[in-house]
Amino acid sequence: MSGDLAARQAELVAALVAGGPLPPGFAPAPVEAARRALRRKRAAEVARHWPLLAAGLGADWPAVFTDWAHGRPTVGSLRDGWDLARALRDRGTLPPLGADELAGREAASRYDGRAAPRPRRLPAFARAGGAVAVQLAGRVRLVRPAPR
Amino acid sequence: MSGPAGVGIGWRPEIAGFVAGLPGLRFVEVVAEGVHPVGPLPDGLAELRERGVTVVPHGVRLSLGGAEPVDPGRVAHLAAVATALAAPLVSEHIAFVRAGGLEAGHLLPLPRSREAVAAVVANVRRAQAQLPVPLALEPIAALFDWPDDELDEADFLTEILDATGALLLLDVANVHANARNRGGDAAALLDRLPLERVAYVHVAGGAEAGGFYHDTHTDPVPAEVLDLVRHLCDRRRPPALLLERDGHYPPAAELRGELDALAAASGHPVVT
Repeated sequence: MSGDLAARQAELVAALVAGGPLPPGFAPAPVEAARRALRRKRAAEVARHWPLLAAGLGADWPAVFTDWAHGRPTVGSLRDGWDLARALRDRGTLPPLGADELAGREAASRYDGRAAPRPRRLPAFARAGGAVAVQLAGRVRLVRPAPR
Repeated sequence: MSGPAGVGIGWRPEIAGFVAGLPGLRFVEVVAEGVHPVGPLPDGLAELRERGVTVVPHGVRLSLGGAEPVDPGRVAHLAAVATALAAPLVSEHIAFVRAGGLEAGHLLPLPRSREAVAAVVANVRRAQAQLPVPLALEPIAALFDWPDDELDEADFLTEILDATGALLLLDVANVHANARNRGGDAAALLDRLPLERVAYVHVAGGAEAGGFYHDTHTDPVPAEVLDLVRHLCDRRRPPALLLERDGHYPPAAELRGELDALAAASGHPVVT
């Protein structure tokens, strides 16, 4: 069982955050508890970066996040929340508070879904789920909140 | 600047006002990855530094226990934060947080094997060569064990500390959590650790859920953890103890109560 620590660490992380199989020899119940604990922690961190999105989903936040995050390793809390908000928008299930937050973020930064978002240098406006935000010289204003 | 002394608290932006209002406070810790070493420090933190409060940068993303060499860029950031804060030391964990290109999102335990000792020792030495101040290492709380442990916890930690000369950041709540979840006697483990190397101690709250004790940092400090603090201080009182709280911040009176309980259990002066 010894040797190749790098490969074994990679197997363990894949099992914990990317839906990989349990590596041989590990007790299933404690590793499952750790997997859940990591997911809760990740949900809490994404909620800190996307407070309106999480607040908009309220009691559904843990389940919605968990469902989305299953088998999807983190790309950082900012991008995780952004990807989730866009997915909910595309499904038509983005709550109004989340739409306001997403519109503001889209107006402020350019995000291609693959690399870190970059601040927009030119004035911009963005819509999400009925919300409209404008950005001028780096200042973002929500000109129309999403319909409640 | 002087080393950590007395009862401290983990500085977080959410409780910066509360922390600034603690009259007897002499030391805090700040999550190193959250500080930009260039440019102005966060408001509350700059104030504390002006008051002469010691600020210890606490890294959480170095992955010193990773099989790959530690990222020199991450160590450089920790070093720059230490310099910006004129910190007397920095701390990090005996853990890994990423592997195979994936981020785990939190601290993961190492196998207690010779191979893992060698990996972490090599990374600690690389980090030490780049850091301007001493490094304290913190053993983590884990819910599971690797199947191939060759050493027990005390021997594993002592070998790493001996080989690197690093200081020990002892987390009493982690000791409690590990004993509760993975077996073993928490007090007996404390008795076997090199307590003369303790730079400071972490204390945090947690909660039982799903048959495990979770070191949440968002719940009150349980009585068992305070008992362990008393046991530790009977053996050898550490120079400093720090309360870690990372969310679900309680009303100020409750947080003051936790700091007072820590002062009472350790015999250090009250800071509230």
